[in-house]
Amino acid sequence: MTDTSSLMTRLPNDIGGVPADHIVRSEHELEPWEKRCHALADVLDFRKIINTEEKRRGVEALGSEIIGKLTYYERWIVAFSNILFEKRILTPESLSKKIDEVSLR
Amino acid sequence: MDPKEPKHDDHGHNHDHSHDAITASKNRSYYEIMEIAVRELLVEQKLIGADEIRRQIEVLDSRTPALGAKVVARAWVDSDFRSRLVADGRAACEELGISFYDDTQLIVLENTDTVHNLIVCTLCSCYPRPVLGLPPDWYKLKPYRARAVSEPRSVLAEFGTVIPDNVEIRVSDSTAMVRYLVLPNRPNGTEKYTEEQLAAIVTRDTMIGVAQVKL
Repeated sequence: MTDTSSLMTRLPNDIGGVPADHIVRSEHELEPWEKRCHALADVLDFRKIINTEEKRRGVEALGSEIIGKLTYYERWIVAFSNILFEKRILTPESLSKKIDEVSLR
Repeated sequence: MDPKEPKHDDHGHNHDHSHDAITASKNRSYYEIMEIAVRELLVEQKLIGADEIRRQIEVLDSRTPALGAKVVARAWVDSDFRSRLVADGRAACEELGISFYDDTQLIVLENTDTVHNLIVCTLCSCYPRPVLGLPPDWYKLKPYRARAVSEPRSVLAEFGTVIPDNVEIRVSDSTAMVRYLVLPNRPNGTEKYTEEQLAAIVTRDTMIGVAQVKL
């Protein structure tokens, strides 16, 4: 029998106490866009648009494959986009158009 | 001609300037472009100000473990401050001019001869950012988050920190609203140190709890 119960008892972020590898003491200076992304998160919180807990749940809602493959701030910006769609602040169309416009600069 | 050198005379005009700006823009990842797009749309809708992002970047740049070290050194030399710090971490930091730019509370955990504290955020990456700045990558990655709560002694050993078995290790798991800071033990041999000299020996890792203050 395949044990699927762990899928219900632990969401992707809930990893406290699970077996894991040795610690690799990795550090890196944030890239400029990563720092901007962090500042955006803070401003969204100050402006009561997206708070920390909503952001965390937004990342969790990406599912384990995306969480596993994207980097930390990549997960954040994708989660922000989804949350802003849900809140009817942005639409997928407006974002897609803006992404095309920014790509051409 | 070096084959790696791009040929610049094949698109209708000759020029000797580099194409660095264009190359840089071509190197932007999909997610970096998404960050620019989301931010600009929010600014266009006047939900956030472009200046607000710039100001917050300055705030982030101004937060380093030196602030936490100042708090720890003050607590070591001023027992009244120490009591206020343990009673209300945020208010005591604000006394020293360290503003909290978010809604978080700060609980300061005192190390003693019998207790060693360690902080983690198992769910994500919550961290006492107003006093320490942004967390290191390892704090946000699975091995630390998963293992700090279940096998803290092994985790500490991987940081080269060996805590005697008769010292209890307490692990505090941060949340979106409640953040922790470890108040490490003041090492012997620092009786004549000034407050500034004390602050200079307090590192980030000692305030996370993965290291002890050493001379």
